[in-house]
Amino acid sequence: MSLPSGVFQESYGQDMAIFRTKAHWVLLLAFLVLLFAMPLYSSDRILTILTIMGITIISVLGLNILTGYCGQISIGHAGFMAAGAYVSAILTAKLGWSFWAALPCAGLGAGLVGIIFGLPSLKIKGFYLIMATVAAQFIIIWVILQFQNITGGADGLSVPRPEIGGLVLKSKASYFYLVMIITCIAVYLAKNIVRTRAGRAFVAIRDNDLAAEVMGVNLWTYKLTAFFIGCVFAGVSGALLVHYYAYASTDHFPFMNSVWYLGMLIVGGMGSMTGVIFGVVSLKLLDEAVTVFGPMLAAIFPAIAAQAAASLGLILRGLVIILFLIFEPRGLVHRWELVKSYYRRWPFSY
Amino acid sequence: MTKFRLFFAVSLVVMLAALLVLPACTKETPAPTTAAPAPTPPKTVTLYIGGTFALTGAYAEDTAAVLAGFEDYAKYVNENKKLAPWRTETFPADVKLEVLWRDDELKPEKALTIFDELKAKGMLVYRISGSQTALPLMNPLNDARIGATSMAAGPYLLSPPKTIFTNYPLYTDEMGAIADWYLANWKGTGKPRVAYLTADSASGRSIDIPEMEAYLTKIGYEFVGKQFVPMVPTTPPTTQLSWLKDNKVNLTLGFMINPGSQPTIKEAVRLGMGTNLDYKITFGFAAPSHLAVFAPAMGTLGDGVVVAGSYPPMDQAHANVPGIAFYNQLQAKYHAGKPVTHIMYLAGIVEAMIQTEALRLAALKVPADQLKPVDVLEYGFYQIKNLSTGDMTPPLTFGPSDVEGADVMRVDQDQNGQVVLLGNYPCHGIYKHE
Repeated sequence: MSLPSGVFQESYGQDMAIFRTKAHWVLLLAFLVLLFAMPLYSSDRILTILTIMGITIISVLGLNILTGYCGQISIGHAGFMAAGAYVSAILTAKLGWSFWAALPCAGLGAGLVGIIFGLPSLKIKGFYLIMATVAAQFIIIWVILQFQNITGGADGLSVPRPEIGGLVLKSKASYFYLVMIITCIAVYLAKNIVRTRAGRAFVAIRDNDLAAEVMGVNLWTYKLTAFFIGCVFAGVSGALLVHYYAYASTDHFPFMNSVWYLGMLIVGGMGSMTGVIFGVVSLKLLDEAVTVFGPMLAAIFPAIAAQAAASLGLILRGLVIILFLIFEPRGLVHRWELVKSYYRRWPFSY
Repeated sequence: MTKFRLFFAVSLVVMLAALLVLPACTKETPAPTTAAPAPTPPKTVTLYIGGTFALTGAYAEDTAAVLAGFEDYAKYVNENKKLAPWRTETFPADVKLEVLWRDDELKPEKALTIFDELKAKGMLVYRISGSQTALPLMNPLNDARIGATSMAAGPYLLSPPKTIFTNYPLYTDEMGAIADWYLANWKGTGKPRVAYLTADSASGRSIDIPEMEAYLTKIGYEFVGKQFVPMVPTTPPTTQLSWLKDNKVNLTLGFMINPGSQPTIKEAVRLGMGTNLDYKITFGFAAPSHLAVFAPAMGTLGDGVVVAGSYPPMDQAHANVPGIAFYNQLQAKYHAGKPVTHIMYLAGIVEAMIQTEALRLAALKVPADQLKPVDVLEYGFYQIKNLSTGDMTPPLTFGPSDVEGADVMRVDQDQNGQVVLLGNYPCHGIYKHE
């Protein structure tokens, strides 16, 4: 009996495939079956958590392309989500469009807004670009609030739930399926985008933009493309969010969300789609744990009661990000790669 | 491999299509229990009050006091089986109240998961922590027919009225009350000039509606414009205040919490703006800018500031108000030596009272252990009429189209660092809901 000591590919196509072995396909199928069977055995709460995670993953995938792959740090991602969210909200609530037509428009709308705010990236980078994207967050929200007749201003807009053939996706399970299907498509698209010519150009710009330009990479085109693609993901994510809440409000897109999205990338590992999923899942689970353990902590220390729980989430999230920056700057995905490597080489791993 | 991929793709499409269509896409609206109460052996039933509290963020200090109010009120009811010292009705002996709470950090996504968690734990009533969380929770609460009290009182609660009830007047009505008071005392020539000076948030901007401006113009004001200040300013709002001065504004109206109103007024004083300063102007705020917190913190700097819709101060001068006497009683019993002095403690008691009253009324119709949220909504919240809170608020009345509990409100002014009642003014229902 011969034991395989590796996976041997016979063509470039096989070598570049995302799923290269039958084991990969079986694992994927098993994961999808488990994921899509969730509503059969999960509570409403779990479905809500997973739905929110799915929506966040889509948004952070966009940020990963922009920041993790192209190196253009953005702290205005929640603002771009708001742009997409309001495009979809206005099209469906004010103009009576179908959700299915409004969703791609939300992505495109946010993408165009992203291009506008991406223009400074051609002249500035690093800290200065961060400040420009922070401005984007506030300008987008300000603009939304000014057009009260269209956007509802501070009161926001009631947004209809999506429909399929007259059936309203009102239940938690149906919206969970919608979000998960779009999330799977988004992960697949993002994974493939970074394997294209544009994806390789993004990485070149991130690693050394001068060298990339000398090599023939058009910075103008590719930086704006990264902004466009990143914001398309954000727009779709924002649209899904407001249709889930059935309400669009600027309060759903606070500045701190943009910061936490970046934190998710740091914890998960920048420049990796798996890292995005790890980052979102781990910080969201931390959030949920804090929510549940806060009151328990207050019960143990009644003298400080509510104060014991207050700000616990902020403190822990901040602490986790600091610890990752110091001890594992490559994020959870690096640890995951080490585990996989150990498993592959066993019993000769070291 | 190609065949395998084809098989995989086809099976995946079939599976996804089946799973998308299989689950019920619509939900039935819950109906109240109609069966006559069945005789049940006496056993202790635990009913929950509470909900989400924004213990992290700008409202943390206010909310910690609200939570303390909830917990003390639950202890009082459990120990005495009474609803308040001035009330004769008793709370069912076989029912125990327990406060369930979670910190939602004012984040909509956390508010949604907490709602699902607490609903699964059997909460029959709920609580909203602020405007940010009220918006995404309005529909889920309405779908589940769960009645909720709210710390937020934005006009969005009325479009259309759902299942969230406030004990504050809506912010627009609070602005209307200040405008009424100011106009009644206006001694200048011509029309008084009014502008908004309000927080740059959903709650702050919620007063900026056409109906509000139309009301002010109708009763005799000249509307000049609006200025927005961050909810918690990090720099003095000099530009905004200078704009008011340049535009000769006599009265400002707005929603601010104390971390916003205090630095704003300090800067106004520095610029010589105030009721007793070189530039005569009156600043009016909605209830979250409670004078009971503002006046002691500001001293005489805050002279002339007016707040509508707040609670009576918890000082000795108000000790004969039944609600304040109740507050003193709870403090002596549960916080001896370390009293909770924040005014929002009263808000916690009032909200807990409303939730408890809804449960009590519903338990008169349906046995406590068989209660469903819709029972508490229809036999409880909707039946609350003239609920006395011991003058902490006006008597509260709720109904299917009446989510704003109060019909009148107090208007107070800071005078020499003391809270002085200017009078009670009616709610005009300025915001016309759909």
